[in-house]
Amino acid sequence: MSRDLAERHDGILRRDFLKVVGVTGAGATIAGCSTGDVERLLPYVVAPEEITPGVATWYTTVCRGCAAECGMWVRTREGRAVKIEGNPTHPVSQGGICSRGHATLQHLYNPDRFHGPMIREGDTFRQGTWDEAERLLAARLRRAASPTNTVDRGDVVVIAGHTGPTMSGLIDQFVAVLGATRVDYDAVTDAPMLEAARIAYGTATAPRYDIGAASLLVSFGYDFVDTGSSPVEHNKGLARMSGVNDESHAKGRFVFLGPRLSLTGQNADEWIPIRPGSEAAIALGIASAIATPEAAGPYANLLQAYSPAAAAEAAGVSEEAIVSLAERFRSEGPSLALGPGVGAHHRNATAANLAVMILNHVAGNVGRTVHYEAQSSAATSRMGDMASAIEAMSAGRIGVAIVHGTNPAYSLPAQTGFREAFERVPFKVSFASAMDETSAMADLILPDQHFLESWGDSMPRPGVLAIQQPVMSPVSTFDSKHSGDVMLAVMRLVAAAPPVAPAPAAPGAPAAAPAPARAAAPAAATFYEYLQSSHRAAYTDRTVDFDTAWRQALRMGYAQFASPAAASPALRAPDRALSFDVPTFDGSGDLTLLVHPSSRFGGGEFANSAWMQELPDPVAKIVWHSWLEINPATAAARGLVNGDIVTLASPHGSVEVPVWLYPGIREDAVALAMGTGHTSMGRYADRHGVNAVDLLPGTPEQPSGAMVTVATTVTLEPTGRAMRHATVDGANGDQHDRPIAPAVQLALLGETAEAAEEEHGELMELQAGGGFIPVPAEDGSPASFPLPGSRYGEYANAHEGPRWAMAIDLDKCTGCSACVTACQAENNVPWTGEDQVRMGRDMMWIRIERYYEHVDATQASDLDIRFLPMLCQHCNNAPCEPVCPVFATYHTPEGVNAQVYNRCVGTRYCANNCPYKVRVFNWYRYTDAIPEPLNWQWNPDVTVRDNGVMEKCSFCMQRIREAENRAALEDQRPVRDGEIVPACEQSCPAEAIVFGNIRDPNARVTQVVASERTYRVLDAIINTQPAVQYLRKVTFHEVAAAEH
Amino acid sequence: MATTEKEIVNRGALAHPDLTRLDDVNRDVLKMLTRPGKGWWMLFGAAAAGVGLFVTLWAYQMIRGIGVAGLTSPVGWGVYITTFVFWVGIAHSGTLISAVLFLFRAPWRQSIYRAAEAMTVFAVMTAGLFPLIHVGRVWHAYWLIPYPNSRFLWPNFKSPLVMDVFAITTYFTVSATFFYLGCIPDIAAARDRATGWRKHLYRIISLGWQGTDAQWHHFGNAYVFLAALATPLVLSVHSVVSWDFALGIVPGWHTTIFAPYFVAGAIFSGLAMVITLVVPMRKIFGLEAYLTTKHFDAMAKLMLLTSLIVFYAYLSEFFLAWYSGEEVERTAFWNRVFGNYWWATWTMLTCNGLVPIILWFKRVRHSIPALFIVTIFINIGMWFERYVIVVVSLSHEYEPFAWGVYRPSFVEIGILIGSFCWFGFWFLLFTRLLPPVAIQELKEVMPPPLRKKKSLEGAH
Amino acid sequence: MSTAVSSPGGQNSGVLASYEYLDSTVDAIEHLRKAGFKPQAYAPYPDHHIEHALGYGRSPVRVWTLCGGLTGAATGLAFPTWTSLDWPLVVGGKPIVSIPPYVIFTFELMVLFGALSTIIGIFVLSRLPAIKPAVLYDPEFTAGRYGVYVEADGARLDEARKILKAQEPIEMREGAKHA
Repeated sequence: MSRDLAERHDGILRRDFLKVVGVTGAGATIAGCSTGDVERLLPYVVAPEEITPGVATWYTTVCRGCAAECGMWVRTREGRAVKIEGNPTHPVSQGGICSRGHATLQHLYNPDRFHGPMIREGDTFRQGTWDEAERLLAARLRRAASPTNTVDRGDVVVIAGHTGPTMSGLIDQFVAVLGATRVDYDAVTDAPMLEAARIAYGTATAPRYDIGAASLLVSFGYDFVDTGSSPVEHNKGLARMSGVNDESHAKGRFVFLGPRLSLTGQNADEWIPIRPGSEAAIALGIASAIATPEAAGPYANLLQAYSPAAAAEAAGVSEEAIVSLAERFRSEGPSLALGPGVGAHHRNATAANLAVMILNHVAGNVGRTVHYEAQSSAATSRMGDMASAIEAMSAGRIGVAIVHGTNPAYSLPAQTGFREAFERVPFKVSFASAMDETSAMADLILPDQHFLESWGDSMPRPGVLAIQQPVMSPVSTFDSKHSGDVMLAVMRLVAAAPPVAPAPAAPGAPAAAPAPARAAAPAAATFYEYLQSSHRAAYTDRTVDFDTAWRQALRMGYAQFASPAAASPALRAPDRALSFDVPTFDGSGDLTLLVHPSSRFGGGEFANSAWMQELPDPVAKIVWHSWLEINPATAAARGLVNGDIVTLASPHGSVEVPVWLYPGIREDAVALAMGTGHTSMGRYADRHGVNAVDLLPGTPEQPSGAMVTVATTVTLEPTGRAMRHATVDGANGDQHDRPIAPAVQLALLGETAEAAEEEHGELMELQAGGGFIPVPAEDGSPASFPLPGSRYGEYANAHEGPRWAMAIDLDKCTGCSACVTACQAENNVPWTGEDQVRMGRDMMWIRIERYYEHVDATQASDLDIRFLPMLCQHCNNAPCEPVCPVFATYHTPEGVNAQVYNRCVGTRYCANNCPYKVRVFNWYRYTDAIPEPLNWQWNPDVTVRDNGVMEKCSFCMQRIREAENRAALEDQRPVRDGEIVPACEQSCPAEAIVFGNIRDPNARVTQVVASERTYRVLDAIINTQPAVQYLRKVTFHEVAAAEH
Repeated sequence: MATTEKEIVNRGALAHPDLTRLDDVNRDVLKMLTRPGKGWWMLFGAAAAGVGLFVTLWAYQMIRGIGVAGLTSPVGWGVYITTFVFWVGIAHSGTLISAVLFLFRAPWRQSIYRAAEAMTVFAVMTAGLFPLIHVGRVWHAYWLIPYPNSRFLWPNFKSPLVMDVFAITTYFTVSATFFYLGCIPDIAAARDRATGWRKHLYRIISLGWQGTDAQWHHFGNAYVFLAALATPLVLSVHSVVSWDFALGIVPGWHTTIFAPYFVAGAIFSGLAMVITLVVPMRKIFGLEAYLTTKHFDAMAKLMLLTSLIVFYAYLSEFFLAWYSGEEVERTAFWNRVFGNYWWATWTMLTCNGLVPIILWFKRVRHSIPALFIVTIFINIGMWFERYVIVVVSLSHEYEPFAWGVYRPSFVEIGILIGSFCWFGFWFLLFTRLLPPVAIQELKEVMPPPLRKKKSLEGAH
Repeated sequence: MSTAVSSPGGQNSGVLASYEYLDSTVDAIEHLRKAGFKPQAYAPYPDHHIEHALGYGRSPVRVWTLCGGLTGAATGLAFPTWTSLDWPLVVGGKPIVSIPPYVIFTFELMVLFGALSTIIGIFVLSRLPAIKPAVLYDPEFTAGRYGVYVEADGARLDEARKILKAQEPIEMREGAKHA
């Protein structure tokens, strides 16, 4: 890039440093520029100005992990991206980042990325140069269009996945220049919701949910915590809405309707296990019960046909459930109903979404908790268009097929016949940066850059234009090129050629497919210029000049514009016939198959990340392989036990998969997650699990054109074989009546105050005995520690300096497991592989324990699910410490349970003696298995542990030290509260984790643990006095005494 | 003092019918040190091969990492620690027989204590290897020893494992010394009969012992003091080993009865192992005259007693777990009997509690084959007792989510077998290089040769 | 049977008699001591008649044991205490110096040092290991025979020889004990 850029950046750097330290307290350098000019990463010949060895540089950018496009801060060290964090200032994601967001780092350093353009030669690929590859593509494009060509003449089709507005615009130009057809396709899409919005309100943008503003949240099978349209934002909303307020004791109620408890459903206060496909009936039934005739508008007659009774009948649930839910809609406003998501896309999904929108409308939620905005620039991807493309390809009318940012050969059901059709195309081009099923079939691969290496933008919501800036120079191992730059080059090459006669438009193509002669190649030389020019156009409303505005946008990560007025629109009559009934399902099996996107792999694009493969699934706690969720009663009836491998057969295909008994699913349904079972995606994805979509029909949902995930019945045939699950759950979710994840009933909150007082009394005794919890003296200042007469040993200066502690609010935690991956990324925690985990050798420093309790013990399906993030409790009386023969673990004066890796001999007594089992042991040198350049991601501030040593959570000691050193440098000021943010707290979308100095009476953590809900795991039994304190989950129902 | 001839005769508390002259003992005992037969060579070959396996597997584990063992979370200790405790237990009866029974003047110890002491020394040598095999980084294991390093970093003397290091080292040193001291006069005896390289060897290791009055005088006194020191040591060592567990908070470990319970168990298993070893030795070397049913009967009675103590300990553990009302404790012990490892627990209860009951019958105690079989059962049972304590307790602790199952790997099994070969290797060498039966102590209890068949006072 | 090896009247020459019977030995010793000799006895096993005849009291080995034991105990308590204070590290909320565990080291080192010093004691007191090989020695002593050795020269030697002969020794040797 040009020199003046670098100069500008230098200026920004200093200014930003001052600003940002103040703003974030993370000491981050949010630099408004890329390191695009760094030739070599290490060692430096001439160090670029903005990189100081040993000091982290932070950049803002946009996550391209999914369509939510959250804001990111990326921490780089010596020119390498090492850690991703949520951007708290981002208007949509508002801080926090999900597991998949962290895992995009492993795509950046994916060892299976292409090392350059790949050109097919017979059955294999040959690595070529970029010039050669671009010329080849241009030549083939011209040839496909030339009238003289009689062999493989044909149209050009561009199959594009979700991408930013500017890139999408460029693709449109590319398509125009080539006179091609554009087909937008993504495996996971909210098309039915968009279509329903179009029908109901004439807008094709997804409704924006303000979950935090609701007090009654009803999800009709919309898994907004797992996947959905914006997981981080919605996760945060759920935590705000359903997390209890300790002063007012206000708590929102979350009701989940669906045949299966997804992670989202597990967070619900009430589960109504409805029959698959009956969402519309229920939504309309409730609407009919609460609607005034005028409110329903054009749908008043429709509502006449529905009633709670009919709804209950259709859903196979009790009428009371529906009636009381309707009653709540009337009384417990503001309410919010969420339409069926990808995990519930049956053949009437659009109708179901429409029904939910009607419910929201009649409940008066539009404009309060749900907002409809004007057309967004994000293209809607429709499998329907894909169907016609497939038809054209198999008919041989397509000469060149170009695939960008999507992997249809994997994510489309085999029934669609995509693979066969694609195979027939004479010249197939893929822009994938690493091998996938589609690229494996391609003739030419033009490896795109990772989004952390390249420019781009996103519009997560109308009025917000976020900039995706490169945070590091492209990984030198791979010769990749921005597909925008490639397209520009190819357009120039094609345009340079003599224009040819317009090709006949392919069916399904937009009207009047433009011929090359008519569309001219854009002027921009590089995509960066193209991006800037498009933003220059958008920034017209700015008072400052473009460069300043641009730099501000780069620094913040986004630019905000006046969002179009979102006046509550009126319902419009449907412009097409829709059926609101329970759809029919293919086949004659007695079990309905529920295929849902995985919260770890999405639609499969994250399968080649070892982090995601080894992250225990938030629901099943299984890693690396697939499993079939089946109700224990159903399994018992068929004589199946956990791990039995069955042949799962639908009319469209069959797979072999082990069953996992899950009380959170209807007895007449089984569930299988998408995203696994790849055949040629990479070393971590291939041959792990099965591909669920191969069981699905090829025909899309109408009218939205989305892939149907709940469409077929299945039969189970035991194979007689069995396997042990690679799971981290040792007790099948049973906490054996131990006070590990207790709960408290909302109604009792006030009344437990006295109990809390007693607790406080205990704490005082504890303190007298050397416990660390500061008991305010008469004057309110924290008492010195240890108190006189302390029975316990402490350091002479223990009462000086801070005492680090953590509080975790279990009423906020949604079990999303973002903290697990964050910790893995921050602390160089290795993965161990399926067999090791099956033995019990996972290395996670923090794990989300998931326990089942029952709302009503008499009903097996009536689940109250508890999540407990379990990490080193940094006990004051740590059982692990005295048993270590060599002081490899000991207590620091700051109250941290330290682990000295170099001193560890590996007797493993500490792990035996840890009641929380949070210590993990390096049985092998696991890091040896981590290939270049994946190890570039390692955090230079954290040791990589050796074979035969124990390790565990360190409270992110490196961050504590960094903050302390910075404070010391800034004339010995004390460390500010919130200045030290451990990786788990930083990435927690629910803001359930708080870390700080418990001895500071004004610290957030001190104030949080003052809650009457505070408890310490197992402390009552074994007096470990943990530094990590939990706040009980709050339930609406009565809680069994044994759980207290 | 006045000594009557009667006394002299009565000193022979043990009648050896075919022993008339003092040097008959030398004849019988020292003939064992002559050229070994085919049987010995076969056994020795097998043992040496086993040692080879032992070393190979250990090397493999050091190179690959401790992960080649089946150990996992939450079961961080498995076969290795089990076997460690097993061998330490075996080590006990040796010092018990030589020291404690010496102090109590038990008349039947003379002919077996040498073998028992040798067993002790070799068992500790074997046991001492297992903590090293067990740790993740054996090349740093020396950090457990307090030595002045550049940073003056010392071991943690609050850790039971450091206590263990001291207890085991002390026990090995003292029992080895005790063993060697007792050997010296007999080595001298061997020296005076031997020829060739053996003569040179024995001359050196007998330290020029001649059996002068002064030597015998100090020898006798020192022996008493060593016995007096060794006796509390026997009891302390296995107590300390038991605290390796009892000082942890693991349900099933954290109990006060562990020390006496472990000591009893150690003596129990130790005696069993002595019989297992001595029975074939007696046959091979024709020591029927020295090892009579009288000895076996006495040892069997002691085994019966310790078996009852151990079985009582089992029962009280279960009772207390129930009586405590502590859900965690209850689950832990319920899991012992009916959980994943029910088979181990039932093996332990059967072999250590039920099988020894037949020792109530004199006919069993007097039938050497029967005793041999019983002791085999006890050896197995006592190994499983430690397995149950170590593994089963760890598999079900406080945090249900973290419960797990441990399956030993082929490496662990191989090293377990190898450890028996390593032990046998040394014991077989011992039977050929040192007098396996205490010559001089046997002579002590024989009627001394007298010229005038009248009392010694006759001389003056 | 070998005969005298060195000339009578030589440097510290003496006479060694081997006996088959215990009572002969005891008698010989007693008569020699009556005659004012300082005989030395050999036996295949520790025999208290011989010790009695030689008028042995208690062995000073006990002192060695006591000193060793006390030193060990002191070390066992002092060392852990000192190391704990040398680099104070808190583990498990326990006091820096916690006596109960240290008692175990006190005990173990007491036994260890006690035992070792006893061994050293016996070696020192009974002149072991004997560097100089004794030439005036009968290998049968370790098997079945008893022996009495008297150091004397000239007339005293003849007197001793007479007393020893009186008890009918199996054989007698004369000469210097050490070459």
